Amino acid sequence: MQRPSLLLALTTLAACADPDFPTNSCKKSEAASCVEFHADEVDALLEAVNLLEDDAEVILGAGTFLLDNQITFRNADGVRFAGQGIDETVLDFSGQPKPDSDDEGVQANGVDFVGAGFVIEDLTISDAKKDGLRVEDSDDVVIRRVKATWSGGPSSDNGAYGLYPVKSRRVLIEDSEAWNASDAGLYVGQCQHAVVRNSLAKQNVAGLEIENTQFAEVYGNTVEDNTGGLVVFDLPGNPIVGRDIYVHDNVVRDNNRPNFAPSGTVGVIPAGTGTFILASRRVEFSGNTYENNGTVDVAILSGLALESDETQWALESATLIGSMDGLDLPADGTQVFNYETSDIVIRDNVHTGGGTLVDAGNTDLEARQLGFLVDLLYGDEKVDSVLYDAIGESAYDADDPAGNSNDHHICLADLDGGTFASLDLETLAARFENLDFATTDDLFRPPAPFTPFDCDGFSGDPLVRPDVELSE
Amino acid sequence: MTRLVLALLCAGCAAGGIPLDGTPPRKLSQLGLVTGFADGEVQYAEGVFPYTLNAPLFSDHAAKARGLWLPDGEAATYDPEAAFTFPLGTAIVKTFLLPADLRAPGDDLTIVETRVMILQEGGWSAWPYLWDARGRDARLTPGGAVLDASFVGVDGEDVSFSYLVPQRNQCQECHELRNAEGRREITPIGPKARHLNRADDDGDNQLAHMADLGLLDGLPDLSEVPTAVDWAAVEAEGVDALDDAQVETAARDYLDINCAHCHNPRGVNGETSQLWLNHDNTDAFRMGVCKRPGSAGKGGRGREFDIVPGDAEASILHYRMVTEDVGSMMPQLGRALTHTEGAAVVGRWIDAMEGPGCEAE
Repeated sequence: MQRPSLLLALTTLAACADPDFPTNSCKKSEAASCVEFHADEVDALLEAVNLLEDDAEVILGAGTFLLDNQITFRNADGVRFAGQGIDETVLDFSGQPKPDSDDEGVQANGVDFVGAGFVIEDLTISDAKKDGLRVEDSDDVVIRRVKATWSGGPSSDNGAYGLYPVKSRRVLIEDSEAWNASDAGLYVGQCQHAVVRNSLAKQNVAGLEIENTQFAEVYGNTVEDNTGGLVVFDLPGNPIVGRDIYVHDNVVRDNNRPNFAPSGTVGVIPAGTGTFILASRRVEFSGNTYENNGTVDVAILSGLALESDETQWALESATLIGSMDGLDLPADGTQVFNYETSDIVIRDNVHTGGGTLVDAGNTDLEARQLGFLVDLLYGDEKVDSVLYDAIGESAYDADDPAGNSNDHHICLADLDGGTFASLDLETLAARFENLDFATTDDLFRPPAPFTPFDCDGFSGDPLVRPDVELSE
Repeated sequence: MTRLVLALLCAGCAAGGIPLDGTPPRKLSQLGLVTGFADGEVQYAEGVFPYTLNAPLFSDHAAKARGLWLPDGEAATYDPEAAFTFPLGTAIVKTFLLPADLRAPGDDLTIVETRVMILQEGGWSAWPYLWDARGRDARLTPGGAVLDASFVGVDGEDVSFSYLVPQRNQCQECHELRNAEGRREITPIGPKARHLNRADDDGDNQLAHMADLGLLDGLPDLSEVPTAVDWAAVEAEGVDALDDAQVETAARDYLDINCAHCHNPRGVNGETSQLWLNHDNTDAFRMGVCKRPGSAGKGGRGREFDIVPGDAEASILHYRMVTEDVGSMMPQLGRALTHTEGAAVVGRWIDAMEGPGCEAE
C-alpha cells in the first residue's frame, strides 16, 4: 500500500501534460475533488476509491492495471470514473494465481457501483471473476466507451455478465462493448428508463438482453456471433413487470455460437436465435437488420414456453415496482401474472439468410427443447423468419386464416425478405410427447399482410420513451 | 500548543480516539481499543468487553476475537431478535487470526486483520485494519488486501488460498439491511441475543455479565432469552453425534449466521434471490424447498432447485456451500475454502427431509 507520493504530485504538476493522461485528466475536470492514478498505482487507487466523497472524479492513466479484487464504489454519489479510451486503459482482473495452486483468487466483480450518479467511461474491464461491471440499485448511470471482455475467448468458465446495470433507474449504455460473457454481454435488468445505443455485443451466450425492464430504447447496436442475439423477456417472480421496449435500427447477425452457458436461464437458448420476446408486453422491433441467424430471426413466446407453471409467474400486486398503467395482466385476487406476451409490433425489419441451421446443427432435446422442436418441425425447410407460439390464443387453425385469433395483439408489417408462421406450441409439444411428430403442414403461415396479425400499432397509448438524458 | 493540538485532534471524538464522523485514525492503537497481540491473544484496553458467539460465520478457518466498547456510562438496549440498539460512539472490533495447523487450531495463530465498526453520526461505518507482520499494530487499509495464506489441513496436507481482507466498501456486502423506509443502512450482525446468550470463559452468562457491567439495558430473565446452537460443541462432538432434531436446529442456525445477513427479507444483497435463510423463516418455499433460483448464474451447475427434499447432492444450496468454484461459491465474500462440518450439517438436514423430491420440468 502506498499513497501517491509528494514527489509524484510535484512531478505531475511540473510537467506540461502527463503523456499517460491524454484524454481525461484532472486538469480538464471541474469536479471539486479529482484524483489521477497511473497503471502501477493500484493500491493507491483502491485506497482512494474506498475513501471517496460525493461528486469526485477518479481518472486512470493509459496502461494495464493488474487487480486481484474488485473496484468497489459505495458511500459516495456523483462519481465519475474514467480512463483514457476503451482500449487505452485496461483493468485486468485475471489475478496471479500462485504456482502449484489451484487457487482461483477472490470471487468478485470487476467494477461494482451502488449509489446515485455514476459515469464510467473510456476503459476496458477484462477477466472479472463474476460480472465485468455491476451497477445495482442506482440512479442516473452512464456507461460510455466501456468494454467488458474475457481474454481467453468464449468459455463457460468466464464471468456471467459483461455490463450489468440492475435494479437501477435512468441508465445509459453507449458506444460500449461486451465480449465472451457466459450469460449476457450487454444486460439491462429490473431497471426503469434505460437506453442502450451504438454498442457491440459479440461472442456472448446472450448478446444484448433487456429483462424485467420498463421504458427502454435500444438502437444502433451490433449484436453478432452470440448464441442468442437481442432478447427481451421477463423472468418469473420478479417485482418489475417489463413494458414499453423500443428496439430499432440494430444489426443482429450470425448469432450461431453453440451455447456455452454453464447453467441458468440462458442455457436453454438454441444457437441461431436472433431475437426472442418472451413474457413481455408493449414491445416494438422495427428497422432492424437480421442476417444469417440459423434458427430464427424473431421468436415471440409466452412465458409459459419457458416455465409452464402459471403459479410461478404470480406476483403480489402490493410488491410490484414501477408503472402498471394500462397493463391488463391476468389477475387472481391480490396477484397478477406476467407470463403473457402481448402488444408486440414487428415491422420494417430486413431479413436475409438464416433459418437453415437450427441450433448450429446440434439440437438437444434435454438442454434446448425449443430448438429441437423447431428443427423437427421444419426438417430440411427453411425456418420462417418470425415465429409466434400462439400460447393462450383462443383460436388456432393451420389452414384457415379466419380460424385464428389475435387476442394478444401481435402486429406484423413489412417483413422485408421475411416470412411468418404461428404454431400451436402447446398442442405440438403434447403431440410430440406421444411421438406424433408435426410438420410445417401443422403451421399457420399467412403471407403478408399476415391477417389476423395485421393490426396497426399498440392497442393502448404509444410507447413511453425512456426518461434518460442524452448528450445529443 | 501541544494541548491545543490534542484538543483539536479529539474534537468530535466520543472517547479515546473514536471519531463520531469521518475517517478513523491510521493506526489501530490510536483508537484506544486494541492494545496489542501477545501469547496468541488480542489485548484490549480497559473498558472493552470481549465476547464470543454461539454460531460464528465461517471465514476460511480464521479464529476470531471480538470486543465491544461503549461510551462511558452508556448501555446497549436489548432486542430478542435484531441486533441490539447501541449508543452513538459504540465500537465493535473483530480480529481475524489464521492458524498454522488445523489439527491444533488454537496454537500458533498469526494475527491478520481487525475490522472495526463504529456507530457514527451518519450511522454505522466499517473499517479494515491490516496488522504488520510482527503483530505490533494494525494500519487502516481502506483498499483491503488479498493475501497468500496457507496452513496445514486436518489431513496433514498443506492448504493454500487467497485470504481476502475486504475493502471498506465491501463491508456492505454483508453488513447492509434495508430499513423500514427502504433505505440501505450498515448494521452489525453478531451482537444479537441468540448469538451472545452463552457462557464466557469464567462460566458466567455473557448477557448477564453485560447487564451487570451496565452495558446492557432491558435484559429479561435468561429463561426468556433465545439461544442459537453452540457450534463449537457441534464441531467438538462431531456432526454424526447429532440426532435429526438437533441437525435441523444446527442447520438452521448455521444458515442463519452464515447466509441470512443477505438472505433475509431485508437483506439488500439477497433480495433478488427471494431465498430467506433466517432462522425464523417458516415459509418452506422461500427457504428454498423446491424453489428454482431467480438467477444462480453458473451457481447451479445444472441443478434445478435450491433444496430438493431428501437429496442434498441435487440441491443448489448445498452445492454452493461445498464448491470452491469461483462464480458458484456462497457466501460470495470471505470464503475461499469449504467448511466441511457446516456443509455436512446442512447436507444431513436436507437428506432427512421427507421426499418425494420436487417435480422437475
